[in-house]
Amino acid sequence: MSIKPEKEGSGKSGWINLVFILFFAVVLPVGNRLGLFSINTISLWGRYFCFAIAALGIDLIWGYTGILSMCQAFFFCLGGYGMGMYLLLKATAQQGLALPDFMTWNSMTALPAFWHPFHHFIPAFLLSLLVPAFVAFVIGFFIFRSRIKGVYMAIITQALALAMYLLFLRNETKLGGTNGLTNFRSLLGFDLSASSVKIGLYGVSLCMLCLAYIACDKIVHSKFGKILQAIRDSESRVGYTAYRVLHYKLTVFVIAAFLGGLAGMLYVPQTGIITPGRMDVTASVEMLMWVALGGRGKLKGAIIGALLVNCLYSVCTSVFPEGWLFILGLLYVLTVLYFDKGFLGLFATLGRKLKFGAGAGAGRGA
Amino acid sequence: MKTSFQILLCLALCFIGRYRAAAADSAGVYVEQVLYPQQAGARSLAIGRLAVLQEPSVLPFLEAISSSNLYLLDGKAVTLGSRKSESEDVFTIYELYPSHRLLLDGHGQPVLLAASGLKPVEISRIDRLQLGAAAGWLNIFNADAQKRILAYTQLESASDTTLIGVLSIALKSETNADAYRAGRETWLALRLNHPADPPEARALIDSLSANDGDNTTAILRAYAKNGGLQRDVGLYARQKADEMDSQYAWLQRLQNLFSGLSLGSILILISLGLAIVYGLAGIINMAHGEFLMIGAYATYSVQLFFNNVLHVRDSDWFYLTALPLSFIVAGLAGLLLERLVIRRLYAKPLESLLATWGVSLILIQTARSLFGDLTAVKLPGLLAGGWQVTTHLVLPYSRIFIIVLTAGVVLSIYWLLFRTRLGMQIRAVTQNRNMSACLGINTRRVDAITFFIGSGLAGLAGCAMTLIGNVVPDMGQTYIVDSFLVVVTGGVGKLLGTIAAGLGIGVFSKVLEAFFEAVYGKVLILLFIMIFLQFKPRGLFPDKGRIAED
Amino acid sequence: MTSFIFSRTGLLFKKFSAAALTILSLGLLAACNSGDKKSDAGSGGGADSSGNTVKIGVLHSLSGTMAISEVSLKDAVQMAVDEINASGGVLGKKIEPVIVDPASDWDLFAEKAKELLIDKKVSAVFGCWTSVSRKSVLPVFEQNNGLLFYPVQYEGEESSKNIVYSGAVPNQQLIPAADYLMSPEGGNYKRFYLLGTDYVFPRTANKILKAYLLSKGIPAENIIEEYTPFHHQDYQTIVSKIKKFAVGGKACVLSTINGDSNIPFYKEFANQGLTAATCPIMAFSVAEDELRAMDTEFLVGHLAAWNYYQSLDLPENKQFVANFKAFCEKKGLPGGAKRVTDDPICWAYTDVYLWAKAAEKAGSFDVAKVVDALHGLSFDSPAGNVKMDDKVNHLAKYAMIGEIKPDGQFNVIWKSKGLIDPVPFFKLDSTAKK
Repeated sequence: MSIKPEKEGSGKSGWINLVFILFFAVVLPVGNRLGLFSINTISLWGRYFCFAIAALGIDLIWGYTGILSMCQAFFFCLGGYGMGMYLLLKATAQQGLALPDFMTWNSMTALPAFWHPFHHFIPAFLLSLLVPAFVAFVIGFFIFRSRIKGVYMAIITQALALAMYLLFLRNETKLGGTNGLTNFRSLLGFDLSASSVKIGLYGVSLCMLCLAYIACDKIVHSKFGKILQAIRDSESRVGYTAYRVLHYKLTVFVIAAFLGGLAGMLYVPQTGIITPGRMDVTASVEMLMWVALGGRGKLKGAIIGALLVNCLYSVCTSVFPEGWLFILGLLYVLTVLYFDKGFLGLFATLGRKLKFGAGAGAGRGA
Repeated sequence: MKTSFQILLCLALCFIGRYRAAAADSAGVYVEQVLYPQQAGARSLAIGRLAVLQEPSVLPFLEAISSSNLYLLDGKAVTLGSRKSESEDVFTIYELYPSHRLLLDGHGQPVLLAASGLKPVEISRIDRLQLGAAAGWLNIFNADAQKRILAYTQLESASDTTLIGVLSIALKSETNADAYRAGRETWLALRLNHPADPPEARALIDSLSANDGDNTTAILRAYAKNGGLQRDVGLYARQKADEMDSQYAWLQRLQNLFSGLSLGSILILISLGLAIVYGLAGIINMAHGEFLMIGAYATYSVQLFFNNVLHVRDSDWFYLTALPLSFIVAGLAGLLLERLVIRRLYAKPLESLLATWGVSLILIQTARSLFGDLTAVKLPGLLAGGWQVTTHLVLPYSRIFIIVLTAGVVLSIYWLLFRTRLGMQIRAVTQNRNMSACLGINTRRVDAITFFIGSGLAGLAGCAMTLIGNVVPDMGQTYIVDSFLVVVTGGVGKLLGTIAAGLGIGVFSKVLEAFFEAVYGKVLILLFIMIFLQFKPRGLFPDKGRIAED
Repeated sequence: MTSFIFSRTGLLFKKFSAAALTILSLGLLAACNSGDKKSDAGSGGGADSSGNTVKIGVLHSLSGTMAISEVSLKDAVQMAVDEINASGGVLGKKIEPVIVDPASDWDLFAEKAKELLIDKKVSAVFGCWTSVSRKSVLPVFEQNNGLLFYPVQYEGEESSKNIVYSGAVPNQQLIPAADYLMSPEGGNYKRFYLLGTDYVFPRTANKILKAYLLSKGIPAENIIEEYTPFHHQDYQTIVSKIKKFAVGGKACVLSTINGDSNIPFYKEFANQGLTAATCPIMAFSVAEDELRAMDTEFLVGHLAAWNYYQSLDLPENKQFVANFKAFCEKKGLPGGAKRVTDDPICWAYTDVYLWAKAAEKAGSFDVAKVVDALHGLSFDSPAGNVKMDDKVNHLAKYAMIGEIKPDGQFNVIWKSKGLIDPVPFFKLDSTAKK
């Protein structure tokens, strides 16, 4: 990979990338074939990759631009619902029904107009990506235009996420209410319950994660990315130097939403359900947590955070069903207090300690 | 207890004795029919008859029916008396009719029997309700005004015109205004339904509407629907009802306004602490809602303490104790949080957001493992019920209390901030931390005190919340987004803004709720706030000058 | 000098973090796989009942919003498992419950269901409360041929061969309650206020109720339908609407309000001067467990419709209640001996026995065989003798109406004449229609 070396000298960051890709692209699937890892583990990691993609979006907007957006989960769900609608229509057709079952219970007689584009994969795919981006554009335009920032931005986006959550809970939204969309069967003719399809989806998610990482990496190292970081450090000074801050912020907000939508779209066929629960206030805060824990302002941090936290969540809810909230809560607090650069920072600190320890020992010996 | 009830009833019966139809010997027959109904419906009929008989000797029997405590023993109606002891399931037995007496065995000792050895007489709910209604009209001579009101209201559906006379007697000695209004309404309604000539009917309709009772419009509309005596009288009744309804619409608006005020007060109570802490330390405290929860659980614990340790039940003292205690407990918890976590995060708002989020997870889970269930606090007797402003405007005391409490808290906070030395220090640190430190203010101390007050206010809000809601581990989460919105709309860290925004949002959402369902009301509120911030991006009362930038 | 250290640090950091990452991932992976190393890759399903134990999954939320209700069900399942194990287990094997926490997170329900079926290879799963959680795991159970026992009353419109529904369907709860209220015995009510929390059960329940009431000749203007969001606390506006509605007399409320919204609702109801005598509330989601440790003075006299009450006078029930209290006290669960049983707890408990009986009858833990054996099975549950339907995986049971007493218990004031057969897909029968 031709990434320009960063200040900290990341010439060898290729190493981590290589280990990462080798491990997930080769070890896991092969392990599955050999019977070391169950298909459920593969699916789980596939889903974590989706979260990691969404987390990349957050890192761009929060870590690099300094805008605390608390509605990423909403964009995630928009993408998810797009894919879910397509899958549900396909499943309905397969069962030989005219309408998805929840519509029949709600006494609807015809498919609502906005469902029609989702009969086919291509429009569904495009809409799943473009709708979140467009919504982000509209929201972002009004928010950034009136120079809402800092805490205001955080609270407004949080309130927005809450409002949308409440709307999606309603049956009048015609998206399944609390129950959301579920009971999917096949994607593009592939049976979603087959292991090979699950591995395939896992592979697609991994590829998308890599692509998203590379794209984000390009972005943050481009001139555009530098200006984003400048906005983070001092928005007014960027404004004074004749950059249109609004344009930059809007663009990065839209990119983040786009990534969220992409992640949601990949997430739904692997999970088999999408409900408004995925976009409540907590969901968005959790996404921020992943990034904070992994290491804000580092793309790798976002990925590592998303993967580790979700993995911990899965493991702890099974192993410590009664006390996992303590573990997660403590982790959040301790990370913020002691390792404010997240896991990445923690590794660095530990590395340095090790080095100093070794160095000191050697010095005394000599 | 039971005997005093009987004495009261007997007194009442003596009082109306002269209006009673000659006491029938038929009481025994009806009792027999209740116990062994010959055909379907005979039992209901018999109970009804017994209730109107007003025969003192059947009163214990009726009481047993209404409390579902009627059994058969050797073909006689009996009821369970007191339990012999806590551990044993055997009871003393009372015979009910014709005489009410404790059953004794051959040695003069009370007969003790297990409930399972007796055959219960199953009385249907509707019969019990009917009995309640019929026995209820005896209550028009009850000492308790509330019981009298209920009794009057229940008579409204009666078609028995002989009651008009009873009512006239009762109304003559009626002292309570509300009860008088209710009684008069029934009296007028009965007379209206009793054939009267058109001018008299009109006069009755006028009196009814002037009396302005609870159900007047319903009575008038029912009268109009039945055609009235003549067509124009019916129309007149409907016209009166319409007039009254438009008046009530205004009252309804007032009621909504009041609901809005009370919701706004709750929001203010929660947001005040949030606003102070944010203004001072730049901390977004996601765990603020959990201090509310701590306050509520403190109240709940005080109640438990009073009930289980002090064995003081049905006393309002627990709530009075809980008020300051919830403030202190939540405040101390806040102080602890400040010491352990927040102290390291001053002026790092985003990090603080994450850390406090983690703290809130821990606090919720702690509450869950300590208290476990859905719990609630008993409403103090003083605050039960409501203030009847007019017949159609009832303001619940609990809500009034919350509004008053909020007003008190706001005033004290103002006094604290603008009239005391500590307040000056807090304001100074809020404005410029470094400069204040240079001028010799112990900023750490100020931080700690402010955090104590801020968290304590949330605890107080929690204590207030127990009056209207239940106590659950994640109760804080319900209000936290709303209170954030209040803080933002008001202008972060601005007290006046917080108060104005809290009231505004409270009233506005209640007004909207009257037109839309609650969810859409909430969505609309959020939309309005978004639009509002377009014009006032820094809230109602932004900082002036350049401080505001970066 | 500094630059030297920096570059060395950088190098070390790289190596260290790469290694750390690998180790961490491996560790977590292993944890994810949770020891089931002999699992054959790629194939789901197929319960693992080799050895002396048979595993069952318990899928109830122990944290999050649903924990309040679901924790008790987990306790009931555990108690049934302990009892069965004490009396020798099933088919000579001890039952080993695998308890996980889906944390009231609907996606996590699906994930945990997969984990239980694919990784832990459990023979049956006992769990779920909300409709959405059941909908979330339904495809997982169908695709992996698992077996879920679902103990809560629900809206019908669903009948999967992989789910055993032991809670009531609409014709076992909603319709009897409506019939009762319209009967002379119940009070001849003519006007109905349908109030619910906005999610699928109240929506569907009210749809069915409304259609049924209309078919019984109740005019449409006498039926009002209204919904509030989850955790709604402020019922001032709604109660004043009800008050206005009740003025005409013969009015009652059919409430499908969920969980923590109930207390504020009943409090407000009493505060605005409404009583059970003037306008009773018939609740479909308020049971003893919700009333535990509550101040019930506002609720006394109001009604609820269920298929089981703790106060039922049956020897099986007396034993069950005593056992449950003893179990909670022994295990040091919050509440201890003050715990109560209710309808879902009764069915969660019954479910384990049904499964054990069916497995004994089938002589196997195989899902298809167990389901076959379940059909027609009858069992003396705490709610009386119940019978599994011959075709659908639903129970035939008694419907009962209870009146709330001051101690949070119910006085059973009406019971259906016989077992009511389940009709999961409720249709108004054509003769009832005008």
